[in-house]
Amino acid sequence: MFILALLLRRLAQGVVVVLLTTLLIFTLLRVVPGDPVRLIVGGMAPDNVVEEVAHKMGLRDPIIVQFGRYLGGLVRGDLGHSYQRPKSGAEAQGGAYNDPTRGEMASVSDLIMERMPLTLQLAGIALVFALLISLPLGIAGGRWPGRWPDTLAFAAGSVFVSLPNFWLGIVLALVVTVQLHWLPSIGYHGISYAILPAIVLAVEISPFLIRSLTVSVSAIMREPFIEAGVVRGLGPMRIVFAHALRNASVPLLNLLGIQLSTMLGGVLVVEYIFDYPGLGQLTVNAVLQRDFPLIQGIAIVTSGIFVLINIGVDVLAATIDPRLTE
Amino acid sequence: MMSTEDVVSTAQAPPPAHAADRSIVARICHEAWGATGFKIGFAVFVTLLLASLIYPEVSPLNPTKMSIPEKFIAPVLLGPHWSWLHPMGTDQLGRDVLLRSLIGLRYSLLIGVSTVVLMFAVGCVLGLISGFRGGLLDTAIMRLTDAQLSIPMVILAIAILGVSRPTVLSIVVVLGLSGWPLYARVARSAAQTERKKEFVRGARVLGASDWRIILLLVAPNVLPPIAFVAVLDIARMMIFEAILGFLGLGIQPPTPSFGSIIADGRKYLINAWWIATSPGFFLALTLVSINLMGAALERARNRVYGGER
Amino acid sequence: MSDLSRRFILGGSAFAAAAAAAPRLNLPFLFESAYAQSASKPMMFLGAEALTGNWDPTTHTNLGQLIFESFVFGYLTRCPMKASNPEELVFELATAVNPIDTYTLEFKLRDGVKFHDGKPFGAEDVKATYEYGSQPDRPAQWYPGPVEVEVVDRLTARIKTEKFGYPASLFYYLSSFLPIMSAKDVADKKGLAAHPNGTGPFKFVEQKGDSTIMAANPDFFMGKTKIPGVTYKFVGDTTTRTLALLSGEADIIERLEQEQVETIAAKPEFVINKAISVENKYLWFRCSKPPFNDVRLRQAAAHAIDRKVIQDIVGISGYPSQAHISPVKFGYVDVPNFPQFDPKKCQELLAAAGFPKGAGLPELEYFTSVGFYPKTKEYGEAITEMLQEQGFPVKLTVLEVAAWGNLLYDRPGGGAGHMIDCGWCTGSPEPDLVLRTHFHSSSKRITGIVDPELDAALDKERNAASTAERKKILQTETLPLIAEKVPSLPLFTSVFIHAMNKKLEGVYIYPNGMQDVNKATLA
Repeated sequence: MFILALLLRRLAQGVVVVLLTTLLIFTLLRVVPGDPVRLIVGGMAPDNVVEEVAHKMGLRDPIIVQFGRYLGGLVRGDLGHSYQRPKSGAEAQGGAYNDPTRGEMASVSDLIMERMPLTLQLAGIALVFALLISLPLGIAGGRWPGRWPDTLAFAAGSVFVSLPNFWLGIVLALVVTVQLHWLPSIGYHGISYAILPAIVLAVEISPFLIRSLTVSVSAIMREPFIEAGVVRGLGPMRIVFAHALRNASVPLLNLLGIQLSTMLGGVLVVEYIFDYPGLGQLTVNAVLQRDFPLIQGIAIVTSGIFVLINIGVDVLAATIDPRLTE
Repeated sequence: MMSTEDVVSTAQAPPPAHAADRSIVARICHEAWGATGFKIGFAVFVTLLLASLIYPEVSPLNPTKMSIPEKFIAPVLLGPHWSWLHPMGTDQLGRDVLLRSLIGLRYSLLIGVSTVVLMFAVGCVLGLISGFRGGLLDTAIMRLTDAQLSIPMVILAIAILGVSRPTVLSIVVVLGLSGWPLYARVARSAAQTERKKEFVRGARVLGASDWRIILLLVAPNVLPPIAFVAVLDIARMMIFEAILGFLGLGIQPPTPSFGSIIADGRKYLINAWWIATSPGFFLALTLVSINLMGAALERARNRVYGGER
Repeated sequence: MSDLSRRFILGGSAFAAAAAAAPRLNLPFLFESAYAQSASKPMMFLGAEALTGNWDPTTHTNLGQLIFESFVFGYLTRCPMKASNPEELVFELATAVNPIDTYTLEFKLRDGVKFHDGKPFGAEDVKATYEYGSQPDRPAQWYPGPVEVEVVDRLTARIKTEKFGYPASLFYYLSSFLPIMSAKDVADKKGLAAHPNGTGPFKFVEQKGDSTIMAANPDFFMGKTKIPGVTYKFVGDTTTRTLALLSGEADIIERLEQEQVETIAAKPEFVINKAISVENKYLWFRCSKPPFNDVRLRQAAAHAIDRKVIQDIVGISGYPSQAHISPVKFGYVDVPNFPQFDPKKCQELLAAAGFPKGAGLPELEYFTSVGFYPKTKEYGEAITEMLQEQGFPVKLTVLEVAAWGNLLYDRPGGGAGHMIDCGWCTGSPEPDLVLRTHFHSSSKRITGIVDPELDAALDKERNAASTAERKKILQTETLPLIAEKVPSLPLFTSVFIHAMNKKLEGVYIYPNGMQDVNKATLA
């Protein structure tokens, strides 16, 4: 029952957090140098045209007014319209145009929803790969500290963390896709295109998982209850899986929740390098084009996702170790 | 400015009962010194540090002076054109890769270490307080963490670094701001576990103040595992700096940081792999050396305390 | 290099003669492909620039979108701008052009052409397009001034400039530049912005993520293309574009650098297309504020820069031209007084301006972009170093494209910083699209320069009575004067490099990156 209460409380707080982040992101993007209107109307347009368009779009109102307006839309699930991206032409052709400057542009929520599944898929595969790499290495490393599995885990972690993601991405694409023709990777025409990018992401996050697992497992192996287990005649691997892992899973979960945020940074670069049409690529292009409504929308949606994930992590951690909530 | 060793030694803070006993630290160090791993790590790290401090100063080559006819010279023995003058080859503008990598190492260590120190300090302080105190303060701190965590680094970066020419300081601030929540969350969850333990309860019964307990009892047990993650984070921050360079928000030329070398060299990866690869090589070397020392110290600590926590 | 310019000098013919003789080539490959329905695949083109999303051709200065427009729209004429015959004009929607008098140019139009929405093309569309596109408030303001178009009959339109006081002959080359829009769309600006509707070989189908999908127009007046469709996909990263070509995901890619070209050229399955473009890259000085409001300092800076070094850095992406316009522009000549690398002269000028060895100069900020133009950061570092060597306290700031774009243009009180890197690329041989846009006080886009002598020289060449006279004024007065005043220093002329799969045959690439795939095949 207390789990449910915890969940409800955390969800309520989550809403506050998302609101806070929204305001923060909204303000940040408005103080950023780079006038989006300039990009919309073209570099050579006279200043009065810029001002005219800006006024028409409400971009010269006080920030708080703009924010209120934005929030009003947000409540209705409307994240606004992109400054730069057109709606699919077929759609726009027959449509009615209510708003001269915005009607023809793609809606931010559509753009995000279109890309989101691809990024979730990429992140999911990457997570699976990361766990496949980290669990054996990390557990073995923690189980036999100072011996070769530990050394291996340590070496793997050190090498992985030193590989810049765009370096690894290009090298993999070059070798696996271009030279060997084993797997396609540039662009996207099916799930096989997600494998190489996912490997790059997995390599990026696994050092932290390996490290955390090794440290937790080895720490727990020194706890008295493990010896008790040995005394009770349980095999060492059995103990690892039954007790140590359970105890190590809380910090691991926490780390995982946070690593997802790191993963977004990686997703940006990896999707850009592999021309993978997900949220990360959308973000990089939105940043390069100063497409503020889109940047804002992505930031708010991802912040919502993080908040949810971290609530999930806390609830899960509380289920595993009820002492955490009292 | 803390050095890398300080970060590592934080992990080795002696357990509470012996907090005042300095000889414990000496015993751990002595114990660690006996391990081969520590010696190797120490030797490599010192060599790297000295090389990055001394070599650029004594080298006859100029790290920023370009010499176009000498561009894309391969590392020694690894290509059709190579020269002993440029052991690791030259870059797209004919500058020595070894020299630039070693100077890059200075900047990247500076950025990586200061960022991690910043994140570690802010994150752990907030996390420890949050986890130990609990209640409303905990909720407030944790929600602040969530909010920070959910603002993508790139957005923070364009907001802060886009305003004026990026400097080492502004880059450290951006990376540090986006990284501290990790430490806060991990420190908090560890502190929560700690505070249930007998000796902490005991101290409370004896009337020790919260601050005292956090500082002397909780922190020394909670921080070491986090410190290990921090060491890895130094490398990650160096790579993040490269991502900023990739987005055009990195350190400005002619300063060579690992980030800018990798980001610029990426274009030439197909033809001249050594440009973007060499910073990665030094990065790996630095990390392995730090980790070797860290791991040896950790084991030494465990031996000194006989596995007791 | 001199080879090219010699051809220009030989090609000097009177405007009327040029108008009568050159454009005889009446779309040579007409109708050839009308019944060819092979198993050709749609063509995947990876562009380096994202499209703006506003399909109105007058709203942008975006090169990527110009490429898109060349697939979807028709033009009165096309200008292949081949180095061998730069003044050649090929008729497309027009069939003849006749100068009536100094201020009137008459276009005869092709019959039987239809827009993608079915509306027949006629003189009213030319009127709507030209009158709309030449308005001074259009962001893509490429025109010397407003025009009036008289509809003589269904297939005859007259461009009139008398009211606005400049000769109509300027529209001779400009006719290859503005895409012809339907009068119906021009009347409904929202429709124009929302859906591109031209007479070109491909119809716009949809925008899908970063891909702009087009399908062959079955009613294309030259016959349906063999290639069933074209996709323009924005891929910002050069390495990614290269990898996509190498792995077969793309058929043709643009904006490559030396190193990628070497990689691709080593593989037999690919072809490289190199063309001297209409784009010059410049180092622009902010001429409306100190210290570069002093012509001596601009000259000193120009003499401090060794363009050979820059050429070595850009490699095959650059061509060492010597004028403020590209060699494929009308009127190009190797300007004799073009500033050369000369440290001694630089020091003399610095001293004369009151800053011996650069002492007393404020810190000079130099902006460049990274990610779009080849090697900007690399040669930016080189220029910084060369200027510093002569005593200019230069600080280089490398920005991503959006931030750089925001700082690019002149503002009241002078643009940001003191120097900025940028290229200028226009799809027509008309030199005023560069010269007047940047150096006349009525426009002065980046430099902010206001100089009565420059104004006079620019007006004089614009108002010349004949093409031959205009060319002479350009070559002997205007270009030398601009070279002397150096409001910007031309660094080199860009060489546009495309790489394509060998299976793709018969593509013509214009010097501004536009493509003609009307008779191309893709196995």
